[in-house]
Amino acid sequence: MVQLVADKHVRYILMAEKKKESFESVVMDHLRMNGAYWGLTALDLLEKLGSVSKDEVVSWVMTCYHESGGFAGNTGHDPHILYTLSAVQILALFDKLDILDVGKVSSYVAGLQNEDGSFSGDIWGEIDTRFSYIAICCLSILKCLDKINVKKAVDYIVSCKNLDGGFGCTPGAESHAGQIFCCVGALAITGNLHHVDKDLLGWWLCERQGKTGGLNGRPEKLPDVCYSWWVLSSLIMIDRVHWIDKAKLVKFILDCQDLDNGGISDRPDDAVDIFHTYFGVAGLSLLEYHGVKAIDPAYALPVDVINRIIFTK
Amino acid sequence: MGKMGEGSCSEEDLFDLLNQFEHILESDPLIDEVGFIHPSQFTLLNKEAGFSSEVQPDNRTWRSFWNQDHKLGISTDVLIRLCKDAKHVFLTAFEAYKCDVKACSESCSICTLESEVMKHSQSVLMLSSDFGTAWNARKLILSKKDQPCAFTEELRLSRLILSNCPKSEATWSHRRWIIKMMAQRFSTPQEIITKESELVEAVGERSKMNYRAWYHRCWLVSYMTIEQVLQELNKSKRWAGLHVADSSCFHYRRRLMLKILEPLNVKGSTAYDKTEAHKIWMEELDWNKELVERYVGREALWLHRRFLSLNWIMYFACNHSDVPSETGQSIIMNEETVNFIDNEILLLESSMTIPDTKFEDFQAQALHAAAYMLWLTKHIPELWRMLEEKLGTEKLKCVLSTIAQERSSLLHHLVNHTVNLA
Repeated sequence: MVQLVADKHVRYILMAEKKKESFESVVMDHLRMNGAYWGLTALDLLEKLGSVSKDEVVSWVMTCYHESGGFAGNTGHDPHILYTLSAVQILALFDKLDILDVGKVSSYVAGLQNEDGSFSGDIWGEIDTRFSYIAICCLSILKCLDKINVKKAVDYIVSCKNLDGGFGCTPGAESHAGQIFCCVGALAITGNLHHVDKDLLGWWLCERQGKTGGLNGRPEKLPDVCYSWWVLSSLIMIDRVHWIDKAKLVKFILDCQDLDNGGISDRPDDAVDIFHTYFGVAGLSLLEYHGVKAIDPAYALPVDVINRIIFTK
Repeated sequence: MGKMGEGSCSEEDLFDLLNQFEHILESDPLIDEVGFIHPSQFTLLNKEAGFSSEVQPDNRTWRSFWNQDHKLGISTDVLIRLCKDAKHVFLTAFEAYKCDVKACSESCSICTLESEVMKHSQSVLMLSSDFGTAWNARKLILSKKDQPCAFTEELRLSRLILSNCPKSEATWSHRRWIIKMMAQRFSTPQEIITKESELVEAVGERSKMNYRAWYHRCWLVSYMTIEQVLQELNKSKRWAGLHVADSSCFHYRRRLMLKILEPLNVKGSTAYDKTEAHKIWMEELDWNKELVERYVGREALWLHRRFLSLNWIMYFACNHSDVPSETGQSIIMNEETVNFIDNEILLLESSMTIPDTKFEDFQAQALHAAAYMLWLTKHIPELWRMLEEKLGTEKLKCVLSTIAQERSSLLHHLVNHTVNLA
């Protein structure tokens, strides 16, 4: 069987940051903060975070800080909750949360909660359960969950549950593995997993595995490496991961590697990118693959990073 | 401007390219489709349009943009340059605009900057549709406008962008923002809701299983009157029948059908509401059965049936109660329910036969059918006894082993659980 070519992935991630001349990288630069989080977390899972300059990254992250307390996807752009979580996660990876004005960042996030408990992504008001997860994850890392109405936030998430046991972005929206991760993750962090019908959701999630071993994110879709993260982490949180064939999934992820130049793609023989490289490595981490550090399924950060945060005052 | 000098072209050339692009957008406001095309396609497109290659002027515009019949093609050769320039010019203008607003400068200066921001943000978004800051800049400026036409024009622009980037989340989100603004300021325009719904169907045609597009259509439901809901249910039927693997479209139908059930959840619902809903439910069940039998092995169709059957049992199985039964609660097995389940067992049996031809599809059909029945059993444990009775031990074993082949751990868990319950 093919092995994980960890060194090549490390090199690919380090190189990806330097290649700025493709159209893909130009149209992605508004979400550079997300890209940095994916790349850096993958590096840390492969125990190679030391190969990037901590000071350089941290000072760039801080150039994206906005006076409102939120972070932008890149320097000079508008802040959004999506990039605020990534920024906080990056600082957590480097053990640099102390440089944040925690009061201000947490007020920015808490300020996005609406009357019905839901969260907007920014001042323009789009609502999505992804933003609920982000707010809860971010405030939990900053130890400021008391700044929001957790009960209302949980009630809103529960109102997005469908008859198939899954969750969508707003009440009545179609179940989607990415949204399910967000809802289950938020419920896990706040200690509210009893709201999930674990057998029913586990059923829907394990039906995402196809004959190749790969997972899809919705019925009738092709398998995609990124769902190794969204589906798998959800199954772990609800304690139903034994309902899928883990060995076949490991093989599927390994088959999506570019064995020559590093990087992981969505499906075997497709072009690699940083997003799928992260989710492939994170999936292997959840599958306890040898040589990859353990990742926390709710916080999406290495377990040692989360332990460091939780056990420090 | 330091960064701009990179590459082989001079600074003047670059701005020229962006100027040309913006000039095309300005001079042809009826452009309704945009796309990125490979330079080799230019010759082909020109030939089709009846231009001979000799008379083509060899200037940059000709090699960079193609604009005929309100269709705009942008050469992939110039994309990177154009996108970088547009972003730079936009961010500079937006920064200046924000400074001016803060400093409360003269209104004519703000006006000029405002139109600069609108012009350049449009260019950026045509090239990089998820560039949130550019959409935000437009929202900021639009929120100061009070004529409906500014918002209608914005719907046109975002529609144009969707023609190239049908999955762009920021673009769909921007449309919702516009509609919300219009609803707040000029009352909810019903014809806009209808047009939006048609737009999703058109986009769905070219971009299959597009979650963001169908989510948008589901979002519209909250703005619909009950008449519109019924119309939409009719209108989307044909499309769904032609795209039986598109689960998102069936989810849209589920959303509409739940809207029809809503009045039944409140006290004071009339017998008429219930009869109507019952009729619609039966029609959908019959239609779904036709599709299941015609298009063998389609997961989306069987998942739709899970939803339809469970709701039918919950809402219409018990004649005497006004309130729908909670799932998991004991179901009163009246005659209609027994008949319904009998028919479902027949469907299961016929779906379990696997002929030699098209082996894979029929294998999938058997798996989906078995999983469907077991899924219902999880919600209604009484069903288990009926299955044992109707199918007999041998056939039931066959149903279970079909699932065991694909999902053995799930089955193991379920059987232990269900047998204990029943």
